[in-house]
Amino acid sequence: MESLEQVFNNIVKDYSERLYWHVRRMVNSHEDADDLLQEIFLKIWTALPTFRGEAQLYTWVWRIATNETLNHLRKERVRAMLRMQSIDAEMERRVEGDPFFNGTEAQRELMKGLAKLPEKQRQVFVMRWWDELSYEQISAITGTSVGALKASYHIAQEKLKLNLSTLDVSK
Amino acid sequence: MTKRNDISVPQGYFQDLEKRLGQIPREKARVTTFQKVSPWLAYAASLAILAAVGGFVFRKAAAPLQEDYSWDYVSYLSRSLDPDGIIELEETEEPSEEDILNYLLADNSISVELIAEANYEKNY
Repeated sequence: MESLEQVFNNIVKDYSERLYWHVRRMVNSHEDADDLLQEIFLKIWTALPTFRGEAQLYTWVWRIATNETLNHLRKERVRAMLRMQSIDAEMERRVEGDPFFNGTEAQRELMKGLAKLPEKQRQVFVMRWWDELSYEQISAITGTSVGALKASYHIAQEKLKLNLSTLDVSK
Repeated sequence: MTKRNDISVPQGYFQDLEKRLGQIPREKARVTTFQKVSPWLAYAASLAILAAVGGFVFRKAAAPLQEDYSWDYVSYLSRSLDPDGIIELEETEEPSEEDILNYLLADNSISVELIAEANYEKNY
C-alpha cells in the first residue's frame, strides 16, 4: 500500500504542470502562479488524509486548485478596491508586461479580453478552451450544472469575440 | 490558432517545480514535530520561570530575617516599613536630660518657664 507521501508525489507528478497552466491563465503572472501553486499543493497535502475516494482524485485535486485560484482572485480584487485601483487595469498591465509572453498580438488581445471577464466566466473559459476539460468534468469540479456552464462559456465567448473578430473560440 | 505557445516558463521550471512541491511533506513534517513538542516546551519554560521567580522572592524575603534583624524584630519592622530610616527605633541608650531640653527648646511653642515648672513637679 502506498504511503501518503507517495500518493502526494504522484499527484505532483501528474497534475503540477497542468494546474500551473490553468492557474497561470487565471492570474496572468508567472510569479503569482508559482506562489499559488505552492499554496494549492500545501492544501492538497494537508487535506490528503481526509480524501475518502468518494470523488475521483482528479476532480478532488482540480476542485482544490480552482477554489484556491478563485479565492486568490477575489482577494486581489478586494485589495485593488482598497487601493482605489481597478483590477481589470492591473490584469491588463500584467498581460502587457509579461516577460514570458511570446505570442501574437491576437493572442495578447485574447489574454487581455480574458482578464476582463468575471472570475467564474474566466474559469469556465480557461477550463474548456485551454485545459480542454469536458463540460461534465468541469461540472464535477465546480458543482455547476452542464447547462449553466454552457451558458457561461457562450457569454464569455461572445464578450471575447467583440474584440477578436478573427479568433475562433467556438467549442 | 494554437493554444499553448503564447506564454512560456523559465527553462527547467517544471523540473524545479516538481522538486519543490515534492518537499512539502517533509517541510510540513518538520513543522508538525515542532508543533507536537511546543506545548511541552512551553510547560517546561513556565515551570522554570516560576521556580526562578519563586526562588528569588523566597531569598529576598527570608535573607534579612536570618542575617540582620532576627535579634530585633522591631528594628526589622521599622526598616521594612521605613527603608530611608526616617523613624529610628534602634536607639538603645536613654536620651539625656540635656537632649530632652534641647528638643523641647527647639519647639518655640514651649517656654523655658513651662519646662522648669515641669522639671520641678517631676523632682518634687
